[in-house]
Amino acid sequence: MIQADLSIILPEIVLAVYAMLALLAAVYTSKDKLGPLLVWSTGGLMVVLAAWIATKASGTHVAFGGMFVDDGFARFAKVAILLSAAAVLVMSQDYMSRRGLLRFEYPLLVALAAVGMMMMVSAGDLMALYMGLELQSLALYVVAALRRDSVKSTEAGLKYFVLGALSSGLLLYGASLVYGFSGTTLFSGIIETAKHGEVTIGLLFGLIFLISGLAFKVSAVPFHMWTPDVYEGSPTPVTAFFATAPKMAAMGLFARVMHDAFGLAVQDWSQVIALLALLSMFLGAVAAIGQRDIKRLMAFSSIAHMGYAMMGLAAGTQFGVQALLVYMAIYVTMNVGTFAFILMMEKDGKPVTDITMLNGYARREPAKALAMLVLLFSLAGVPPMLGFFGKLYVLRAAYDAGLAWLAIAGVIASVIGAFYYLRIVYYMYFGDEGEELDSNNQPILWGFLMASAAVMLLGIINMFGVEGAAAAAAATLVN
Amino acid sequence: MEDMLREYLPILVFLAVAVGLGLVLILAAVVLAVRNPDPEKVSAYECGFNAFDDARMKFDVRFYLVSILFIIFDLEIAFLFPWAVGFKDISDVGFWSMMVFLAVLTIGFAYEWKKGALEWE
Amino acid sequence: METTLLFAPLVGALICGFGWKFIGEKAALWTATGLLFLSALLSWIVFLTFDGHTETIEILRWIESGSLSTSWAIRLDRLTAIMLIVITTVSSLVHLYSFGYMADDPQWRPGESYKPRFFAYLSFFTFAMLMLVTSDNLVQMFFGWEGVGVASYLLIGFYYRKPSANAAAMKAFIVNRVGDFGFALGIFGLFFLVDSINLSDIFEAAPVLAETQVTFLWTEWNAANLIAFLLFVGAMGKSAQLILHTWLPDAMEGPTPVSALIHAATMVTAGVFLVCRMSPLMEFAPGATSFITVLGAMTAFFAATVGLVQNDIKRVIAYSTCSQLGYMFVAAGVGMYSAAMFHLFTHAFFKAMLFLGAGSVIHAMHHEQDMRNYGALRKKIPYTYWAMMIGTLAITGVGIPLTTIGFAGFLSKDAIIESAYAGGSMFGFWALVIAAGMTSFYSWRLIFLTFFGEARGDKHTHDHAHESPMVMLVPLGVLALGAVFAGMLWYNQFFGHADKVGKFYGIPVAEAAAHGEAHSDDHASDSHADDSHAEDSHADDSHATDSHGEDSHAKDSYGEHHYAFVGKPGEGALYFAPDNHVLDDAHAAPKWVKVSPFVAMVFGLLMALWFYIWNPSLPKRTADTFQPLYQFLLNKWYFDEIYDAVFVRPAIGLGRFLWKRGDGNTIDGFLNGVAMGVVPFFTRLAGKAQSGFIFTYAFWMVLGIAALVTWMSIGGGAH
Repeated sequence: MIQADLSIILPEIVLAVYAMLALLAAVYTSKDKLGPLLVWSTGGLMVVLAAWIATKASGTHVAFGGMFVDDGFARFAKVAILLSAAAVLVMSQDYMSRRGLLRFEYPLLVALAAVGMMMMVSAGDLMALYMGLELQSLALYVVAALRRDSVKSTEAGLKYFVLGALSSGLLLYGASLVYGFSGTTLFSGIIETAKHGEVTIGLLFGLIFLISGLAFKVSAVPFHMWTPDVYEGSPTPVTAFFATAPKMAAMGLFARVMHDAFGLAVQDWSQVIALLALLSMFLGAVAAIGQRDIKRLMAFSSIAHMGYAMMGLAAGTQFGVQALLVYMAIYVTMNVGTFAFILMMEKDGKPVTDITMLNGYARREPAKALAMLVLLFSLAGVPPMLGFFGKLYVLRAAYDAGLAWLAIAGVIASVIGAFYYLRIVYYMYFGDEGEELDSNNQPILWGFLMASAAVMLLGIINMFGVEGAAAAAAATLVN
Repeated sequence: MEDMLREYLPILVFLAVAVGLGLVLILAAVVLAVRNPDPEKVSAYECGFNAFDDARMKFDVRFYLVSILFIIFDLEIAFLFPWAVGFKDISDVGFWSMMVFLAVLTIGFAYEWKKGALEWE
Repeated sequence: METTLLFAPLVGALICGFGWKFIGEKAALWTATGLLFLSALLSWIVFLTFDGHTETIEILRWIESGSLSTSWAIRLDRLTAIMLIVITTVSSLVHLYSFGYMADDPQWRPGESYKPRFFAYLSFFTFAMLMLVTSDNLVQMFFGWEGVGVASYLLIGFYYRKPSANAAAMKAFIVNRVGDFGFALGIFGLFFLVDSINLSDIFEAAPVLAETQVTFLWTEWNAANLIAFLLFVGAMGKSAQLILHTWLPDAMEGPTPVSALIHAATMVTAGVFLVCRMSPLMEFAPGATSFITVLGAMTAFFAATVGLVQNDIKRVIAYSTCSQLGYMFVAAGVGMYSAAMFHLFTHAFFKAMLFLGAGSVIHAMHHEQDMRNYGALRKKIPYTYWAMMIGTLAITGVGIPLTTIGFAGFLSKDAIIESAYAGGSMFGFWALVIAAGMTSFYSWRLIFLTFFGEARGDKHTHDHAHESPMVMLVPLGVLALGAVFAGMLWYNQFFGHADKVGKFYGIPVAEAAAHGEAHSDDHASDSHADDSHAEDSHADDSHATDSHGEDSHAKDSYGEHHYAFVGKPGEGALYFAPDNHVLDDAHAAPKWVKVSPFVAMVFGLLMALWFYIWNPSLPKRTADTFQPLYQFLLNKWYFDEIYDAVFVRPAIGLGRFLWKRGDGNTIDGFLNGVAMGVVPFFTRLAGKAQSGFIFTYAFWMVLGIAALVTWMSIGGGAH
């Protein structure tokens, strides 16, 4: 019995044990000198685990009496989480080393956060959910404040921590309400309650609080306020990490709670999430226009993108979940490439985040500027790029589910949002010659940038099979 | 549902007692206390520091660190208590679960020790 | 061979237009010209060896969409063959002529390269025109139709530094759009009714269309009439018929070779070609064809009156073209398509020659175009003088009455006038006869003002007037041959007896005996039947016709001929309905009818002599006496002014309104307002909300959750 449970949860155990052993090993030997090695070994392990999970036997397995679910949906999300975490980790190595930020704890915190995320997307119980969420969050609070001597970085960590605690409180309160009105914390039990009778007002309140807590994690309006500050204050590789894997995990968790626990009350939560999606799309688009700092800009961009992803969730259908997964996979890929570019933005060895510094960039670095152009077009959703198809997916899901108004609003928001992406393109290609950025062609970053841009272009052929995998994953979640 | 809520009745009683007691004590101080203020008395009190500066001064992070570490082990006790009380009835899985928990905690303890978090200077 | 001759001009245009930088200007020009001469040579071979049977040569599958299935194919029949030689011959001669005419054009700065562009446009035009006439379906024809429109636009506006040339180019293009809209509607209608746009399918369906009613705009129409009318609207635009004629005189802003090629010989005749091509449909559309007749006659008359008083040498010829096109439409309208084609054919030669001659005069006079500044040029430019003379003799229709000996215009124009009479259109007949008199007057006026009298205008220019170079005179000579002999050589084929015409066009004929009964019945019911027709007598001796000689078309031999067209629609190049006897009736027209155009011509000549040779002060006095009429004619019946007031100004007003108010204020205003007002406002708002203080952030979170909870408990899914 216990062996079976353990074998289901083995990937998580492997990663957690690795993190703890590596921690001890490093602290008792040469400490920070081991940093680069740990980055690579952690990244490698994550890729191996991703490959393992991807090829593992299909089907749905439940462990610990339903608290941990290993199904197609979870596997899809885990592969995306591990691969993006590994990519960001590897990208950050050079940047962190040169600034003396590469403490050996950094890769291990990322690994532990990844364990938490894997737990989140596999949660089959409110307690498991909370445990995964907190494991992830605590690790993230720390990496946000990794640069201890920087006011902005500590401020970011602190803000994230305080507001995260508040959201955890909301979530816990919601969970306790749900428990109180359904008598169980198991998702399968909660859905049984809903099946018997109507959803009581108490359960509904619990649901609202749960949604609020989760909305904080995906940074949906009006629970988004922390995002720009934290993105700006954290070291850039950490920002890159925030923008990718945790978003995937939080979205996965969101979809899982909604469908596994409240799958019979779709009409109740669908409108709430639709509203959050609408607000996120518009605020992300509108607020980003005022930004000069590319990291803050990417923060608002991610808020808007989460709005689009939630549009798929708001549809409340299997196709909606498929659209959500496809959208998130594309989003994560785009962000990896974009942050690879941002990591290369340097002047005199110091990181630069002002977008006006990109003036005339295309004349000096045509290849990188072109790759960035492709990524920005993709982020904006300009047709031949993959980003367009992601948007198309969620819009179709929303439309099919009768949320035509939301789809139309999404299109309008994407028009507004296109402005700030295109402004960067404008600076790069038509801006006046100004101060020059260093020509930093770190091969790993360069490779990720180019690969990501290439994926945006080549992906239109068959999306590298993501569509089919997402469809299968969605089928296991919604039935 | 009724049964379950009834189980929570003691908590409600506790809450009422706590609130009542707090109110009683505050009101008692208002009613009974002798008021004879002087500057030394009304100045802010800081644990371990002379209260000669603004209260919003910089705070030595070491206090914070120690209290955090204390809370972790405090919580460990909170877990250990029910485990120890029900020790007779728990299964092997329950026993080993606590062992794993303690092992993880020990790893953390070893890390903070080696890291020097327990040294004041 | 057909494919080669079709694509040679395109290849020439591409090489000349894009390749001249690589192969040099001279080589490019000669390539284009050489390829056109090749095309012309092949066209003559096709024309002379063609046996009358319709062939289809498929080049490629073109459009496949639903039931619309179209290939790019050449439909080769007599109609196509005639157009082929007209187009390629005139075009190649114009290419040659342009070597001389376009040399040292004062419009361009020295060293500027403009000739390859000109030749490329000419060749491109030729290709588009060939595509138009060879098409076997209406979509392909429409592409050719638009292609020549584009080429015409480019060539009229060739002197793009002249604002008037640009305005004329736009005018031509826009006025043609009106016609093209009708044409396009006709094509849509045909596809809607027949479910095909292939000519052969349409021809087969024509009898059915005549029985069909179709709702269009506000009421029901006969399908055949409606479609024929819509197609004719397209033809009106292209062929500058009344209402849509205003662009043609302005098109004279283009270089003169362009006027000769496009605005005299080929493109403007596309409308006539279209009507003839659609003869199987037209025969079933009596309403539309009577409209064509009346409109053609009106155009012929109107344009001739305007031509009387114009002073610009090219404008006189332009109005003459407009008028002659009216003649062709009258012929087509009364059902005598072969006569229309005959005039088209001969007109191409003498009108191109007149234009090229005019170009030669203009060239000699250093680009002076006002005839009042000419005079006494006979001795200065003798070859040009003789060429113009031949052209004038041809257009005015000089010949020996009641025989088939005469200049080209004599035969073809008389054929049309006789057809108009035989077709029963008395209005058409008289309008054309009067127009013939006026044609004679203005044509001779042109000759007298230019070559006779005393030298007027700038003395210096006159002193330096010089004969044009050989490359310009050779085309004149070749066209002169055509102007003299084209009519006599092909008279029988175009307007001879039914068996000849039928053989020429590949239309089956049968001895009238087989139809004797029907024939006479039809005639008995013909209300316009003339006494001299003598139906009964010819019906009796119809069997003796085989042995008759081919010598003459004179009336007395009429009785011996008894062939009738029996082809079904789509068989052969033209279709004559069984009750269409215009050909026979025209041959049987009374003598006074046949002589009348000649009389009108002589009258016009005498008037011109009186006005401009014997009494040169007379024109001025006449103009003063009839001042209102003179102004009316000089201002072209005020068509431009009326259009300006009725269409152009309101359209500009509407456009300005939509631009300023609709586009500028409403659309731009809305978008700019949103983009520069509303969105930045919210951006600032969002920026302010992002205060950086944790308590603000927490406050927003709490506010958000409070709002959600309130919403759910009041309006949401709370049960």
